[in-house]
Amino acid sequence: MRTVRLIPALGVAWTLVYAAFVVWLYATAPQSIKDVTTRASVAAGTYAVDRARFDAGRELFLREQYAAARDEWSRADPAQQDARTQFYVAYSFYRQGWGRVYTDDALFRQGLDAVNRAIALSPDAPLNIADPELKIHSAAELKAELEKGTERTVDDLNPLKVFRERK
Amino acid sequence: MTDKRTTNRALVRHVLLPTIFLTVALTGGVRVAAETGALVFLPPPLVTLLLALMLLALFVRGRAVVVGAWLSGELSALAVVSHALTLAALFFASAQSFNSVLPDAGLPRWMLSFFFLWTLWQNQFSAFDARRLLRSLAALFGTAFVVKHLLLASLYATGGGGWLRQLAGALFEGFTSAALGGQAYAPATGYVSFFTLALYVCGLLLMPPAPEEGTREPARAVDIIEMFRQLPPGDRERVCAAILDEGAAEVTQRSIESTTMSDEK
Repeated sequence: MRTVRLIPALGVAWTLVYAAFVVWLYATAPQSIKDVTTRASVAAGTYAVDRARFDAGRELFLREQYAAARDEWSRADPAQQDARTQFYVAYSFYRQGWGRVYTDDALFRQGLDAVNRAIALSPDAPLNIADPELKIHSAAELKAELEKGTERTVDDLNPLKVFRERK
Repeated sequence: MTDKRTTNRALVRHVLLPTIFLTVALTGGVRVAAETGALVFLPPPLVTLLLALMLLALFVRGRAVVVGAWLSGELSALAVVSHALTLAALFFASAQSFNSVLPDAGLPRWMLSFFFLWTLWQNQFSAFDARRLLRSLAALFGTAFVVKHLLLASLYATGGGGWLRQLAGALFEGFTSAALGGQAYAPATGYVSFFTLALYVCGLLLMPPAPEEGTREPARAVDIIEMFRQLPPGDRERVCAAILDEGAAEVTQRSIESTTMSDEK
């Protein structure tokens, strides 16, 4: 008899949890079952970047294999929830899009999106990456460089521009 | 035995039914993209919410759901909350079942929506019982399923399609693909939709019209005799008289029937 009395409470709790799960699925709209588990781990706070894949991506980045590096990083951080990884993704777009005469606007815009994600993921403190191989360490500085690359100014016509340095 | 039965019925009402209906609400909006195989989640559009509301009104009219009994003040507060959640789950399951069988865009979507609205609206004013209502619903959903997942899917299928494709092509000849609201989904979408509808019908079959009806034990002769013995003498006489009256009426009826039959012979 005691069990029967407990069942409505169990039913209410279970229904609310399950309904919340359904609403969460529709809100996050995962594209695959793997995506579901990734997003669930983000929601549960147990999400972690695949360190080995991240390092593999960094190796490729240092060898100027930017597209391949981003591919590794997209596997290392599938939910795009790690500020450090997103910083490196933005940096790879910057380096790949940078040109002595002109910059690739499409790549720079993707870089801007990535650096904005990185900044949004570290709201408490300015994002700084201590990596001696990089010339830009702060997300704010990288964002400024990317924005400068997408802007059209009179300075673009300056022939001395060809002597500037890629960071 | 009785305890076990009561427990099982309570489990069905408070746990199984909401689980079934929420699963229907979940899978009813799931599509699988043909090219990428990615899952697409479509929340219930406004028209399906309207259809679900009309369907629930039909359930109430057909006494398939006695709302007063499900939310009765005689039940405990927790049971009422649980029942309210079950009814809410039924509403969203109904909406997503419609979502599952309605084409996602274009002319067929509006045509089928109109047919659903027309049928449900007409049924609001006709005499109904729970059984007929279920049969009518099965036909309604079955037709929409065939139209969407066989006829239209065949129309959009790349390569092959056979006679169904040719038939559908002939039926919709003259319409452009945009008018048909074509968006290619993988065949898995049809399977998901079939599972959704099957689960929805199972949920409806499991759902008792009133929650307490199912838990009430059928009267047993031994219990009635025991209760009869506990009655005061005056009440016992009244019960006896009533039983004798009923018995006499039954005997008279039987004798009339037997006389008629022998006369016919």
